[in-house]
Amino acid sequence: MNGNLNEATQSFVFRKKQTDLNHLRKLNRYFSKYKGSVLLGMLFLTASNFFLIWIPVLIRRTMDEVEMLGSSAENYGSLFTILFSSEAGAILAFNSLLLIGTVILYGVLLFATRQTLIVSSRKVEFDIRNDVIDKLLRLPQRYFASNRSGEIYIRTTEDVARVREYFGPVLMYTVNTITRAGFIIVMMLIVNRELTYWALLPLPFLSAFAYWVSGFINRYQLIIQEQYSKIAGKAQETFSSIRLIKAFNRSEHEQALFEKESDEYRKKKLKLDLIESLFHPTLNLLIGASVLIVIWKGGVMVMDGVITIGNIAEFVIYVAYLTWPVASLGYTVNVLQKSLASWERIDSLLTQPVDIETAADSDTVTRSVKGEIEFRNVGFKYPGSDEYALKGISLNIAPGSNVALVGRTGSGKTTLVNLIPRLFDPTEGEILLDGIPLKQWNLEQLRSAIGYVPQETFLFSSTIRENIAFGRADAKMDEVEKAAEQARLLENILDFEKKFDTMVGERGITLSGGQKQRTAIARAILKEPEIVILDDSLSAVDTKTEDEILNHLKKNLSGKTAIIISHRISTVKNADIIFYIQEGRIIESGTHSELIKKEERYFDMYQKQMLEQELQNI
Amino acid sequence: MSRDSQNEAADSVLIRRLYHFFEPYKYWALLAVILTLSAAFLGTIRPKLTQIAVDDHIATGDVEGLTWIVILLGLALVGEFIILIFNTYITRWFGQGVLFKLRNAVFEKIQSLHVQFFDKNPIGRLITRTTSDIEALSELLSDGVVNMIGDLFRIFFILYFMLMMSWELTLISILVLPVLFYSTFWFKSRVRVAFLHVRDQIARLNSFIQEHINGISVVQLFNREETEKQKFRSINQDHTDAHVKTIFYFSIFWPIVEVLASLAMALVVWYGGARALMDQVTFGVLLAFIQYVRQFFNPIRGLSEKYNTLQSALASSERIFNVLDTKNEVYEAALPVKPKKIRGEVEFQNVSFRYNADQEMILNDVSFTAEPGELLAIVGATGSGKTTLINLMMRFYDIHEGRIMLDGTDVRDYSLRDLRKNFGLVLQDNALFSGTVMDNITLGNPEISREEVIQAAREVEADRFIRRLPGKYDYVLRERGDSLSMGQRQLICFVRAMVYDPKILILDEATSSVDSETEELVSRACERMMRGRTSIVIAHRLSTIQGADKILVMHKGLIRETGSHKELVRRKDGIYRKLYELQYKEQAVITG
Repeated sequence: MNGNLNEATQSFVFRKKQTDLNHLRKLNRYFSKYKGSVLLGMLFLTASNFFLIWIPVLIRRTMDEVEMLGSSAENYGSLFTILFSSEAGAILAFNSLLLIGTVILYGVLLFATRQTLIVSSRKVEFDIRNDVIDKLLRLPQRYFASNRSGEIYIRTTEDVARVREYFGPVLMYTVNTITRAGFIIVMMLIVNRELTYWALLPLPFLSAFAYWVSGFINRYQLIIQEQYSKIAGKAQETFSSIRLIKAFNRSEHEQALFEKESDEYRKKKLKLDLIESLFHPTLNLLIGASVLIVIWKGGVMVMDGVITIGNIAEFVIYVAYLTWPVASLGYTVNVLQKSLASWERIDSLLTQPVDIETAADSDTVTRSVKGEIEFRNVGFKYPGSDEYALKGISLNIAPGSNVALVGRTGSGKTTLVNLIPRLFDPTEGEILLDGIPLKQWNLEQLRSAIGYVPQETFLFSSTIRENIAFGRADAKMDEVEKAAEQARLLENILDFEKKFDTMVGERGITLSGGQKQRTAIARAILKEPEIVILDDSLSAVDTKTEDEILNHLKKNLSGKTAIIISHRISTVKNADIIFYIQEGRIIESGTHSELIKKEERYFDMYQKQMLEQELQNI
Repeated sequence: MSRDSQNEAADSVLIRRLYHFFEPYKYWALLAVILTLSAAFLGTIRPKLTQIAVDDHIATGDVEGLTWIVILLGLALVGEFIILIFNTYITRWFGQGVLFKLRNAVFEKIQSLHVQFFDKNPIGRLITRTTSDIEALSELLSDGVVNMIGDLFRIFFILYFMLMMSWELTLISILVLPVLFYSTFWFKSRVRVAFLHVRDQIARLNSFIQEHINGISVVQLFNREETEKQKFRSINQDHTDAHVKTIFYFSIFWPIVEVLASLAMALVVWYGGARALMDQVTFGVLLAFIQYVRQFFNPIRGLSEKYNTLQSALASSERIFNVLDTKNEVYEAALPVKPKKIRGEVEFQNVSFRYNADQEMILNDVSFTAEPGELLAIVGATGSGKTTLINLMMRFYDIHEGRIMLDGTDVRDYSLRDLRKNFGLVLQDNALFSGTVMDNITLGNPEISREEVIQAAREVEADRFIRRLPGKYDYVLRERGDSLSMGQRQLICFVRAMVYDPKILILDEATSSVDSETEELVSRACERMMRGRTSIVIAHRLSTIQGADKILVMHKGLIRETGSHKELVRRKDGIYRKLYELQYKEQAVITG
């Protein structure tokens, strides 16, 4: 029994290792493009360390030679003669020039290392990020509905940046530590085996300590981040309900709550500080201990004539050169863990199935669209939800007809129209376009036949022209202008200083809600669609302009199917048929006058609006 | 951020004001400086000790002497270790203490400010003041200043020990410093520009990604995947290029620092070697100098980095003090009237109001009285000034013309607390906090007992649905009460207003559609609440309006009609009459 369990965990661990390896193999594939420069960079780094260790060697040689010359008891004259004319001066000058030569070579190689290794890591980052975006643009809405947008955003930004660290710093530090430590330890061993062991004694502790501290900091920073969000959240809650808090005289209570979180933050931060405050002193202590041992043990060896004072100087420098590589080892392991975790998340996004693409095996229909839409007992649940957002929807929309959907917020109207361009596929039932199931249509063909104006107007931060021509990048200027005219936007645009080249969004002007909606309508019109879907797209437009736009649409889209969602009676009352939707079901349908006569939901809605309208118009 | 010399005077004021928060810790700070001084001494004396070890003991074969020096070295090392840890910890401790106080002070100040301040400043900005602006001071306060002092001490001690051993070698070893300063300066200026560029590119990349995640359905609906992909490629390329440029500067700068440090060592060995041949410099001194040269570089680099920290900290503290200096425009009465029993009479006398002198009037010469126990309904379109009436009587804003009286006393003569506790406010947006239902009702007031809450909930019939929640009154609401229906949220707000047993009830009736069952419940609850209270209702439902004792019809800041339902209906060409007729005419036509 116990054995079984053990076996099970073992095979689990094994499988986990196996997938880790698979992940890693995939990740390393990104290297192949830059194999040359990465290898070159590793070579440069190794060479730079090779030259680096000549610095202490040369210093030791100089000191030894000076000692020998000094012990020959020759009498030296002035400083000037020693430095520039004596034999000793020649030796000193030669050694020093050699030293400067190696130092410069070391520097140049270090430069070359960064230029190859780190630059390659940025290029790999470029490739990975392109791949992630390619994938993201193709993922179905289902993915976006079941993952928070903040999470997806992190995949393409922070996670990619962390994976880069694997190709950059992690690789560089690892190679650096191995080659530098390798060379130095060899040189130390050549000088004296025993002193080497003594000098290296504190260093493993340094690595282990750095690993522990950086790991602790990583973990603890998450906790602190969380507490930080709590403070911000509390401030947000209080500041946005300030009227209420003042009205109920609760300021002191809010202050107490805030101070509690604030104090919690202080305490957590202090704990992190305590660990952080250990780092530098401990580093200092361990390196200092190493130097101390060298002086002590080395000093005794000098007295015994085993080594020279030059060797002590040499060892002291070696130890100094080892400090960062050894400490970085611990840090690198943590960075590596984080990059791999990020890669795993990226990889799972990259391998996400794109299930809404055109069915490859069936003959995809590409013929022109007439605009007859039929829902056959359609039901729909959002991913991760047990409740039906739509249930038992059956309706038939004749080509060229004008259909309106009404109902409260959250009743399922938007969900219903989202199914037509296959932003989502129904969970139950079937939707047909011109008598052919949607899944058999070529997806691009289907979507290009639909002019969809979503509820939340989304414009990209580029020029107005580019936004209108979003669906048809090849559209000529006069076509863009015509679409703007039909959406009653042209006058507004001509008022802008840069006309159609005006930037909108973050880096440009802010359009009013109505202007945005009309831009989105122009964008849809320019596509010359067979089916027009307006999802509450005229809510921020005044009634007069709305009438004008609707009339235009009617004229230009005669013979085309129009589906309009609206809360305004004035918008929907002329529709051929109105569907009242409540909790995912159609509960009333008919023309305006039929529904008014019924005196049910639609009638209630009508009445309320008449009152409000009158109030506005007093 | 360009901060030049003319700001220096302002900077010194800022520093003095920051010091005010620092004051309670000043003895600790003094201790920290002393500890820093000792740590700097213990850290820099070690090479000097190695010099003594080499020259006086190793060279003479004095094993016992060497042992003693090694013990001294060890003591210095451990001493520095302990002092550094202790010192870092206390500086962070008082640094966090100052931040804690500062953060609370900013929060308290913002909370106390007049409501108009919140209208003018986006919430996001206010949150930044209480969080990230404070955080920007963290580095400066926790170890920035102390480390700067420590760096200076270190430089001083190193120079002292070096000069003590050999002034010539000291000069030789600091020969490279001008080059180091120059290259640091060069690097800083280049890298700053390059970093700004990188930051722009990151922002561009991130906003592209953000935008395309948000607008993904538009991209797909318009078949634009391929084009957007190409667009991203070029943005991504710019981003990579910007990074590669900074890599270039770093790959020049770090080798230069390394080369300079080694160069200084080479110079010391060359010159020192010659001096050693003349027996003027010992090997111990050479060894000590090799160590000092390396030690010397760190504090210099450290100091140049701290300067940036100081700059950004000052910029943040300027923003923080701006908030702390904001004047509260709604202030307490100097000698507040102590109210006896409040009857609940609200009177507006010729009140005019606008937010700013250059703006349009929001209220124009408004006068009316709500008698104790009366139900006053206010009707009007959005923007007609209905909500402003409420804001004024609770002194969220103060008026400049006219008077507002509560029981015949000017509202400005009461203390804010005494004034506001008479009002029970139910706002349209049904604001709930994250926390339990209980907390949301009592708002953390310990004087309200559980029984009182349950009693109040029964009264407005909210008790039934609360009991059905998992955990009942201890059910934890998610942010803003998302998990409840609009009607339920409104009922909780009703209970909240009820437990405070106000004399005057203010309802901003929600237009939001609640299902008909809850709507009835809400209407019934409203009726109960109004019993025995003065009620001022911004009405959206005709049923409320009809039952009102007095109806104000507002339009563009003016009271156009006042009277009871009966009076107003009788008035020919009246606005109210028109509204009323409209409603019933429609019904008549359809039913008839």
